[in-house]
Amino acid sequence: MRKLLISVFSALAALSLAAQTPTGGVKGTVINRTDRVPVSGATLRLMSGATEIGKVTADAQGNFQLSGLEDGIYDLVIDANGFITNTVNVTVNDGYVKNMFSLSLLPVQVTTEVDDASFGEFDLDGLGYEDTPTILYDQNDVFNNLASYNFSAIRFKARGYLSESQDVYLAGVKMNDALTGYSPYSLWSGLNEVMRDKATVIGSEISEYGIGGYNGLVNIYGTPSKVRPGTRFSVLTNSALYRLRIMGTYAQPENDKGWSYAFSASARLGGNDWINGVYYRSFAFYAGVEKNWNDVHRLSLVAFAAPGRRGAQNASTQEVYDLMGDNMYNSNWGYQDGKVRNSRNRITFEPIAFLKYDFTPSRKLSASATLLYRGGKNGYTAFDWYNAQDPRPDYYRNLPSYFYMENADYNRLNPSKAAWAREAWENNYDNIAHVNWDRLYNVNRNNATADGNRSKYILEERHADQNDLNLAGSLSWRPSLNWLLSAGIDGKINRTEYYKSVNDLLGGDYFVNIDQYAERDFSSSDAAIQNDLDYFFEHGEARKVKKGDKYGYDYYAHIFKGDVWASGKYTFGGLEATLGGRLGGTKFWREGLMRKGLFPGLDDNGQPISYGGKVITTYDSEGKPITSKGDSKKSSFLTYSGKLNLAYNFTGGHRVSGNISYSSEAPYFDKAFVAPRTRNTLMNDLTNVKAFSGDLNYMYAANGYSFRITGFYTTLKDQTDVMSVYYDLNNSFGNFALSGIDERHLGMELGFEVPTPLTGLSVVGAFTAGEYVYTSNPRLTATIDNSATVVYDNLLVPYWKSNPKFDRNADGTYSSVQNGSQKHYVPSTPQTAASLGLSYFKNYWFIDADVEYFGRSYLDMSPLSKTDFATAGPDRIVTPAEIMDLASQEKFNDAWLVNISVGKSWYIHRKYQIGFNLNARNVLNNKNIKTGGFEQTRMVDNTVSKERYYKFDSKYFYMPGFNYMLNLYFKF
Amino acid sequence: MKKIIYSLLIVLGFSAVSCDEWEPVLGGYDDPDDEALVTMTSNTTIAQLKAMYKGSPLHIEANVVIEGQVTSSDKSGNIYRSLYIQDNTGGIEVKIGLSSLYDEYKVGQLVSVKCEGLTLGNYGGMLQLGVEDPTGSYETAYMDVKSLIAAHVFKGAKAEPLAPVELDEAGLKDPANYGKYVTVKNLQYDKQIFCLWYPNPNGDTKAQSNRVFLSDNKTWGVTTWAMSAKKFAAYLNSGIWDAATLGDGTKTVAQLRKEGAVTASAYSVSQYFKMGGTSVQVRTSGYSKFSDTEIDSDILDGTAKVNLTGILTIYNGSQQLTLLDLSGVEKHR
Repeated sequence: MRKLLISVFSALAALSLAAQTPTGGVKGTVINRTDRVPVSGATLRLMSGATEIGKVTADAQGNFQLSGLEDGIYDLVIDANGFITNTVNVTVNDGYVKNMFSLSLLPVQVTTEVDDASFGEFDLDGLGYEDTPTILYDQNDVFNNLASYNFSAIRFKARGYLSESQDVYLAGVKMNDALTGYSPYSLWSGLNEVMRDKATVIGSEISEYGIGGYNGLVNIYGTPSKVRPGTRFSVLTNSALYRLRIMGTYAQPENDKGWSYAFSASARLGGNDWINGVYYRSFAFYAGVEKNWNDVHRLSLVAFAAPGRRGAQNASTQEVYDLMGDNMYNSNWGYQDGKVRNSRNRITFEPIAFLKYDFTPSRKLSASATLLYRGGKNGYTAFDWYNAQDPRPDYYRNLPSYFYMENADYNRLNPSKAAWAREAWENNYDNIAHVNWDRLYNVNRNNATADGNRSKYILEERHADQNDLNLAGSLSWRPSLNWLLSAGIDGKINRTEYYKSVNDLLGGDYFVNIDQYAERDFSSSDAAIQNDLDYFFEHGEARKVKKGDKYGYDYYAHIFKGDVWASGKYTFGGLEATLGGRLGGTKFWREGLMRKGLFPGLDDNGQPISYGGKVITTYDSEGKPITSKGDSKKSSFLTYSGKLNLAYNFTGGHRVSGNISYSSEAPYFDKAFVAPRTRNTLMNDLTNVKAFSGDLNYMYAANGYSFRITGFYTTLKDQTDVMSVYYDLNNSFGNFALSGIDERHLGMELGFEVPTPLTGLSVVGAFTAGEYVYTSNPRLTATIDNSATVVYDNLLVPYWKSNPKFDRNADGTYSSVQNGSQKHYVPSTPQTAASLGLSYFKNYWFIDADVEYFGRSYLDMSPLSKTDFATAGPDRIVTPAEIMDLASQEKFNDAWLVNISVGKSWYIHRKYQIGFNLNARNVLNNKNIKTGGFEQTRMVDNTVSKERYYKFDSKYFYMPGFNYMLNLYFKF
Repeated sequence: MKKIIYSLLIVLGFSAVSCDEWEPVLGGYDDPDDEALVTMTSNTTIAQLKAMYKGSPLHIEANVVIEGQVTSSDKSGNIYRSLYIQDNTGGIEVKIGLSSLYDEYKVGQLVSVKCEGLTLGNYGGMLQLGVEDPTGSYETAYMDVKSLIAAHVFKGAKAEPLAPVELDEAGLKDPANYGKYVTVKNLQYDKQIFCLWYPNPNGDTKAQSNRVFLSDNKTWGVTTWAMSAKKFAAYLNSGIWDAATLGDGTKTVAQLRKEGAVTASAYSVSQYFKMGGTSVQVRTSGYSKFSDTEIDSDILDGTAKVNLTGILTIYNGSQQLTLLDLSGVEKHR
C-alpha cells in the first residue's frame, strides 16, 4: 500500500516538473505595519508546501526580489528581528515578476499572547480548561488582534461560543479534550516561544488542517523548524497571577545535513497581588528534533510537558465579599503552621509526544502524517469529609444572613446571632474567614480507633488521567493554479480513568471508603453504603484507604473517534470558492471499575446480587438493573459537517466573503451520563448537537488602513449539559442532566486600524455586539448519587429561555398583570464589547493605550430555579413574585477598563536584542467588575409562610484591580 | 539605557514583597500543634444554675461559670446539635447548634460554659442552655454561631467517661436527674408508639390538615426504632397506616395515598416501655444511623426485658430516654 502511494505521488510529481527555464519572480518592500517605515534585514523565504524554494534578505530600504520562479502558488514567509513572522500567499503566473509592493510586519511587542496561563483558575468542577478564552489570536485579523488581548481580562467569549466549539490542532492533530471538548492550551502553557507559530481561520472558514466547526480553527505547528532560530531568555512578572516567569529557548535552524533542533524550558512561580492562595509552581519542557531529506521527506520528533501545581480561586457570594471588604476574597485557603495553604490545587503532569512526517515530492503535492500520544495525570484536590462540619469558611451557615434576613419569611430571625457572625467575619476572629487547617488536624487526631486515627477530613484528589492516541494524515494537491484539493483522515483512541484518591489524610491514619450520604439514608444496610462492594464482600468491611489509594469512584471512559474530510478551493481572478465536508463516527462507553453498593447491577453470571438474604440489585423505571461496574451501553454517533466559503478580492485591498457551515457532532462523554461517578445510565435520547452558522464579511487592508466588519448568525440545537449539584430538599449530592438546549447567536464584529498624520500613530478599535440567547426550554433529569430514585425525569424547564415579566407596584410588590417576557441569555461573556485606543510605534518604542467597554453580561442559570417546581413552592401556587425572584436571570453591570502598554527594544552590535514590555491593566483600578459566576442550586425552603422558596445568593468571580505585567527579554 | 534596566529591576524587586504568596509554592507544612485546652474555674454547679430558672427564660448577666463532663455523643445522630454536660449535681443540655460535635467534644471531656450572655430556658420541662430566641417560639435558641460558641464554651482536659447513674422508678421522676446519663433496668415493651408525620413536610407543619398522628395505644405496625425516609415510604406503602387520619379528620391515609399527596421524609418515633407503673418513651430520631434497625421480636412480644442507658429527659410530663446509640439497649430474659 505504501509503495503504491509513493509511486502515485512520484508520478504526480513527475508530471508537475515541466522542463522550462523559469522567468517568474516576486518583489516588494517590507515595512513596519505600525509606522510604515521600511524594515531592513528582513529574511524572506519562499515556500512551496514545506519546501523552501528560495531565500533572500531585504536591503536597508526593505526591498527584496526573488527570481527564477516557476509559475505557481507559494507561501512567502517574512521574518525580522522584533517582528512577528508573517506568511503571505504569492501567485506567480505567466512568467512575470510579481510586485507585492508593501508587505507589512507587526512588531512583536505590541501583542501579548493570551493563553490559559494568563488566567487564574476558577474553582469549578471539571478538568480546569473551561475558562480558557475562546478568542483566537490572529495577527492578520484586525479584530481578533485587538480583542484577543484587550477583551481577555473579562473572559470574553468570541461570538458567545463556548471554548469547546473552537478547534485547536497541534501539528495537524485535533487536541480538544476527547471527554469534554475543552481547549487544551494548558497542556503547553509556559511553552509560548515554541508554540507561537500557528495558522488560524475564524468563524466558519475552512482550514487546510481540517474542516472545523463554527468557531474557527487554529493549528499550532510545534515542530522545531517552525521555532524562531536563536537563543532567547525572558523574565516576566505578572501582578495578577504569578510573580515570576523565567523562560529560555534555543532553536538551531536547519544545518547542512538537514537537522534542526529546538529546546525550551520555563518556570512560573509565586503568587500575586490580588488573590490570596492562588499560586503557581509550574514548569514546562520542550525538546524537538527534525530532519529534512532533500526537501522531500521531513521527520519531526517532539516531546513536551508542562508539569506543575497551581492553586485555584473560589467564587463566593456578595455577602462574603462585602464582609471581607474585598471582591477578590478566596475561600479556598487558610493558615497551617502559620503558612498559607490552598485546599484546591490542580496537580498535572500530562506529557505529549508526537512524530510528524511530511512528504513533499513536488510543489504541487504535499502530505503529512502525525502520530501523537498524550498521557499522564490530571488531579484536582478538594476537601472530603465524613460526619463532620463543612470545613469551608464561607459555608452558608457561617454567614450573618443565615441568622437574620430582613424579609421575615426566610425564617432567619435572630439579629443578635447575625451580629456575632458579622463581627467575627469583619475582624477575622480565630481566622474564621479562612480554612482552619489546625482544627481539621485536631479533629482527625481526636478520633482514635484500633487501627489508628480515623480521618474525618481529608484532601481528596479527583483524577481524570488520560491515555490519548491520535493518528492524523492529510494530503494537499494543486492540480493547477486554480485548484487546491485537500483531504485528510484522522483517528483518536482515548481511555481516561476517572477516580478519586487520597491526597492528604491531614494528620489521621486512614479514611473509610463508604458513602456517608447513603449511610444516612440506608442506615440499616451495610451493603448499600459501600463505595466498593466487591472489597466489602471479600473482607467483610469497607476499605481503610491510605494516602494515594483510590476510593469513592473509579471508572474508565472509552472513546473512539474517526473522521475523513476533503475540501477543494478554486481560485479565479479575485474569486475564491472553497467547499469542504467531513464524515466521521464517535463511539464511547463507560466502564465501571468499582461496584457501588447502591447500584451493584448483576454478578458475573448475570444474576441479581444478594446480601444478608436480600436482593440488593436495584432497577430503573424500565426494570433494567442499575449498574455501576462493567461496561455501559456503547453509544455510537455518525457525525458530519459541510462548509462553503466564498470570497472575492477586489483590487485595492477590498475583500468580501461569506461562509456557511452545518455540522452534526456527537455529544461529549462528560455530558452523556446522568451520574457518571456512580452508574452506567445514559441520558435519555442522547443525540447529535446540530450547528448551523453563516457569516458575511467585508475587509479592507491597504496603506496602513485595516478594517473588517462581520455579521454572523448561528443556531445550536440539542446540546446537553450535566452538572454536579447539592439538593437542599433532599440533603444529598446529585446530578442535573439537561437535554435539548438550543441557542441562537446573532451579532456583528468590527475592527479597524486607521493611521494618523503623525508618523507612527494610529487609531485602533474593536467593537462587537450580539444577541446570544437560549431558544428552547430543555428537559431536566435529576438524580441523587445515593439513591436509585430519579428526582425529576425529563422534567420541562419552562423558564429556561425566558420568563414572563411583571412590573413592580409602588409598594414593592409585583403586579399580577404580565408585561411581556424577558429573554434569557448565554451567560458569562459580555454581549457588547468595545475597545478604542491609540497605538504609537517609533524607533523601537511602542505605546498603546486603550479604553474598553463591556456590557450585557449575564449570570449562569441553575435549571432548578427555572422549573415549575421551584416557582410553585411548597404551596404549589405560582405567583409573579416567585417568577421574578426565581426564574429571572441576573444581568451584570457594565464595565469600563483602561489598559496601557509600553515597550522598547535595543539592538547591540546588530546581533543582540534586549527589550522590555510593560502592560498596565485596569489602570482605573476598578474592583467591581464581575467576570462570571453562577446561581446556586440550593433554595431556602423552610420559610415562615410555607408558600414559596427563595434562591440562595449567587456566587461571583471578579476581575482584579490595577495590575501589570513586565517582561524583560534578551535574544541572540 | 542602563538606567532604564536598573529601574525595571527595581520595579521587579518591589513586586516580590509578600512572603505569604511563596508559602504554597514551597509547601512543606508542619503538622499543627494540638489544640490548647482551657482550664477554667467554675463558680456555680449545674444544679445551682438550674435553680436560677424561675418559670421564664433567664438571660444570664452575672458571671456564672459551670463545668461538667460530656455525657452525650451525636455520632449516631440520635442526639443532634446539642451537648449534654454533667457534674456531681446534675446534667444540662447545652444547645450548641452545630453538627458532628463528637468530633470535638469527646465523651468524658471537661467542658466549661461561661454563661454570661446566654439564656436558660425550659422546653417541655427540660432546662436548656442556649441563647435568647427573639421570636419567642422557644425559651432558648441554639447558639449556632462559631464565634458565639467560642466565647462561651471551652474545652478542657479529656477524662474517662462518666458511668451512668442507675435509677429506680422514683429516680425517673426526680427532676434532679433530668439531663443526666442514666441506666434503667428491666423495662418491658408497652406495645404503643407515638409518631407525628406531615403529608407535605415542606408545607405548614403546624396545620392539622398537614398532620398525621400515629398514637392511640397502638404500634401501627412500626417495628423499628424510628424511620428514615426510605423506611417511612415502605411503611406507608404497606398500607398499615391506611386507617389513620389527618389531624383535622378530613382524610384518611388511604385517601392521601391514593391522591399521591404524601412526600416521604425521615421521622422520629417514640417507642413506649414500662418500668413498673411508669412509662418511659424511647424517642429516636429518623435521622439517626440506627433509625431503621428492627427492634428484636422478643422485645416486641414482651418475652425479653431491656436495660436502657441514655440521657433522661422529660417532655410535658412524660419520661423519655434518649439513646446515644444502640449499645444503650441491653436485652435479657
